[in-house]
Amino acid sequence: MCIKCMELSRRSLLVGGGVAAAALHAGVAEARIRPQDMVPLVGPGYRPTEKDELGMWQQMERAEEEIAGSNLLIQDPQVTGYLKDLIGTIGGPAAKDFRIYLARIPDFNAMMFPSGFAVVFSGLLLRMRNEAQLAGVIAHESGHFLRRHMVRSWRDQKRKSDIFAVGSMLAGIGGAGAGVYLGDYVQLAQLGTILSLFAYSREMEAEADAMGMKLIAENGYPPMEMPRVWEQLIGEEKLSARYRRKSRRRGSLFDTHPSPDSRMADLRISAQEVTVPGKVYDDRRARYLATIGPMRQMLLDDQIKLNDPGASLYLVQTLAQDGWNGLLRFYEGEIWRLRNRPGDEPRAAQSYAAAVVYPDAPADAFRWHGIELLKNGRTAEAKAAFARYLAMKPEAPDAAWVRQMVG
Amino acid sequence: MKSVLKPVLVASALALSACTGLGAGESGFSDYSAVSVKRVSVGDDSMSVIPPRPWNRQRHVTFGDIREVDTWTLNGPYLDEIDFVSGLKDNRALIRQRWNANQQVPRFRSNMTPPEIAAMLESLFRVRGGAVDFRTLSLTPRPFLGTNGFQIEYEHLDNDELWRKGRVVGAVINGRLYMIMLDAAKLHYYADVLPDFESIVASARLRGA
Repeated sequence: MCIKCMELSRRSLLVGGGVAAAALHAGVAEARIRPQDMVPLVGPGYRPTEKDELGMWQQMERAEEEIAGSNLLIQDPQVTGYLKDLIGTIGGPAAKDFRIYLARIPDFNAMMFPSGFAVVFSGLLLRMRNEAQLAGVIAHESGHFLRRHMVRSWRDQKRKSDIFAVGSMLAGIGGAGAGVYLGDYVQLAQLGTILSLFAYSREMEAEADAMGMKLIAENGYPPMEMPRVWEQLIGEEKLSARYRRKSRRRGSLFDTHPSPDSRMADLRISAQEVTVPGKVYDDRRARYLATIGPMRQMLLDDQIKLNDPGASLYLVQTLAQDGWNGLLRFYEGEIWRLRNRPGDEPRAAQSYAAAVVYPDAPADAFRWHGIELLKNGRTAEAKAAFARYLAMKPEAPDAAWVRQMVG
Repeated sequence: MKSVLKPVLVASALALSACTGLGAGESGFSDYSAVSVKRVSVGDDSMSVIPPRPWNRQRHVTFGDIREVDTWTLNGPYLDEIDFVSGLKDNRALIRQRWNANQQVPRFRSNMTPPEIAAMLESLFRVRGGAVDFRTLSLTPRPFLGTNGFQIEYEHLDNDELWRKGRVVGAVINGRLYMIMLDAAKLHYYADVLPDFESIVASARLRGA
C-alpha cells in the first residue's frame, strides 16, 4: 500500500489487532515471488462491478476529492506533469487511469489508494537519487493496484473472520470522505493506517515488489535501483533512531511483515534475475535532476529544519554519493547549526565556508558564512560574505538586518 | 506556544464538552483566566505589559509549557495568540520536549544573532506547530525594552491547511531571550489583533527597569 507499511502496520496492530493477527499466519517463511510470474489482474479502464468493491470505490472517490482540494498539495505543473507522465509510463495496463498527487510533507512515503490514485510525499522526491528509484517506488505502489490487493485482502479478511475492524475501517474512510478533516497530513497518515488494515500480507508486499520490479525493468530502468531505495529508507530510519539512542523498533512489526533485510535480499535477487546481460539501462538521473532541481532547496529546507540530525545527515550523505555541491554542503552546515551541541558551531562554519566555494552555493550559504565569520571576529571577511549575499538576494527578507551588519 | 496548544486544545475541548452537561459555566473551571486592562506580569514575572483590552491567559496546566513562556489569546489559539518569552536562559528550548524525540526544537544560545533566533522559531513551527511551509517575510532591527532588539515577520501554512502570520519583537538582554510573539490566522485575525500586539509591545517593561 505504502512504502512505509512496515511502520504503518505497527499502528494498525493497535487499531485492528485482529487483522494483523490474522496476517501472522502468512508471515512465516514465504518464498520469494518472481517478477516474471506477476501478471496484472486489471486491464485498462478498469471499473469495479461487484457490490463490495463498488462501495469501496465510492468512498475512495470522496477521499480523493478531499485530497485533490487540499492546499498542502504542490501544484508546480512541471513536477506534477512529470509524475503523471512517470506513472503513465510505468503503471502497466492501468497506467493511463492512475491519478497522482504530490503532497508537501517532508516524509519518506508514497501510497496508492484502492480506486487508483496515488499520493507521493515531497520528502520522497528529496530522497530519490534518480528517476529509476522514484519509478521503483511508484511501480511498487502501482503493483498493489494491478494485483488488486485492496479488494483481495479485504475479502480475505472477511472470509477469515468477521472482524469489527473492517467495519470500523470503512467507517473511518467514510468519515474521511464525508469531510472529516483530511488535509492534516497526520490524518492522511492515519488514512494510510486505515488502508493498511487491508492488511497487505507479506505475500502481497512481495508481489508488489515483484510486479514493480518487472515494470521498471520493462521500461529500461536499472532494476538494482529498487533494492537501493529500501536500503536508503532503512538506513535513514536506523540512523535517526540510533542518533537519539533508540533502537529501530522491532518485534511484532517485523514479525508480521517482511523483515526489511529479507525483503531487500529478495529484491536484489529479483533485480539480478530481470537484468538482461548486455542491455543498456538508464537511471535517467539527468532528467530527474532537471525536473526536481528547481525545488530541491525547498525540499532540503523542509527536511533539515525539522532538526532530525540523524536522518538529515544520512540523507545529505546519501545524496552526496553522487557528488558534493554547494547546496548539500550548505545543508550539512545547517544540520550542525540546528543541532547546536558543543563543537557544532565550528563544524557548521566549516561547512558554510566549503559551500561558498562551489558555483551553485545558495545565497543563504553566504549569509550564514558571514554570520559565523562575524561571531569569530573576522569582520572584514564577514562583510564581504554579507555583500555577496545581498548582491545575490537584494530583496532578502533580512536585508535590513544584514545591511546594518555591513555597516 | 501554538505547537503545544493544538493537542491541548483538543483535550480541553473534550473536557469542555464533558463538562457542559454538568454546568461547567457555574463550576468555574476553565483553561483560561481573564487578563484585565492594567499592568500585568508575564512569563517568569520578569517582564510586564498592559493589554489595551481584556485578553485571556492560558493557565499553566499543560505538560508542554515552561515557566518563561506565557500564552494569551483573544479568539482562541487556533485563530490568534500572543506568546511572551521572558528571560529564557542559555541552552534552554522554548518548549518542553522529550530528549529522545527525533525532531527537536533547537535550544536558545546566549550568543545567537537575530537570524539564528528566526531560524530557531522556524524550526519550532515546523517541528511542533505542524507547519509545512514557512516563509520569513522580514527581519529588521527594532528597539525593544530599551535596547537594540529585532523584529521578525513570517507566515506559515500549517497542516490544518490554514495560513497563519506572525510578528515577533525581541531582544537578548544579559544573555537571556525576551520576546513577544503574535501568531494569528492570516485572514482577518492577524490584522485585527496587530494593534493590540503593538500596544502590548510598547508597554513592555522589565522588572526593576
